[in-house]
Amino acid sequence: MEILIYAILWVKQDSVKLDTLLNGMKGFSGGNLHAVSTNEIAAVVCESETSRIETDRAGVIDYAGVIETLSRQFPLLPMRYGSKMESITAINLMLERNYSGIHLNLQQVEDKFEFGLKVFCDSEKLRADLMAKSRADDTETPLTLPESPNSIYKDWINKKLKEHRLEEMLLKHVDSVIAILIGQLTQMNARCKFKKMASETMIIDAVFLLEKRLKDELILKTEELQNRYPGLNFILTGPWPPYNFVEITIT
Amino acid sequence: MDNNVIDQSKDITILELLDRVLNKGVILTGDVVISVADVDLVYLGIKLLLSSVETMEQLKTGRAIREMKE
Repeated sequence: MEILIYAILWVKQDSVKLDTLLNGMKGFSGGNLHAVSTNEIAAVVCESETSRIETDRAGVIDYAGVIETLSRQFPLLPMRYGSKMESITAINLMLERNYSGIHLNLQQVEDKFEFGLKVFCDSEKLRADLMAKSRADDTETPLTLPESPNSIYKDWINKKLKEHRLEEMLLKHVDSVIAILIGQLTQMNARCKFKKMASETMIIDAVFLLEKRLKDELILKTEELQNRYPGLNFILTGPWPPYNFVEITIT
Repeated sequence: MDNNVIDQSKDITILELLDRVLNKGVILTGDVVISVADVDLVYLGIKLLLSSVETMEQLKTGRAIREMKE
């Protein structure tokens, strides 16, 4: 028997509300959900007869659904799928040992949503556009090597220099989009995490944590960015529970 | 370019959901064993990687995102 943990919640004094909510829900393999509480925080768990948790899409989606429902009622920190402990006693000890860190993280995510933003591009087209713009704007002397009768590698090196320059322009362009995005989000007091050039086509992979009341404003600002950069494809998803803003590792 | 590409409602795309549930969230240190199609993946330490190859390929092309939105 092992105990699957879904999330850690900030219940405050609302344990009755949590118990009522859990009574209407089912967990892994149709099992009942319980709360294991320490002071103001509680872990939502489900007991599993099997020690192996199968990872299939349906199971993962059900797991996420439980977390989603809980997050609408309580500030919470979602657990990574498959997190389990051997007993209720162990879970209680874990909550006590990590109480202050958990409590602080819960305060940071209270009344906030996470949103995801991925920005895609047609990388070949974007490169071509940047090169065309560069040729139109460029007043600098092109980077070339001086003529040398013995420079058999001149063409190859020039080609590499052009590629390097193009990559620099692309990164600069991505940085400029991110700078504008950050500027917009700073006004909304949002926390942001960015990844640049996650793939050839995904130039920005970002997550934001912001107050729930600012959801519509974020959508509006993202639409404005889409209009500003019609060559890019902005995909905004959310709201999500704060998966990317967990700041603790449980011992 | 279609300007209605922003997903205003909470369209839970499977890719985004799987990435969060499998790769993010609170981590318990120690060993966690998760079965994927009868193949045990032993997680030692902090980082757990369960992104499917299919997921990575779809993110590279960007096609799946657009298809899901249509």
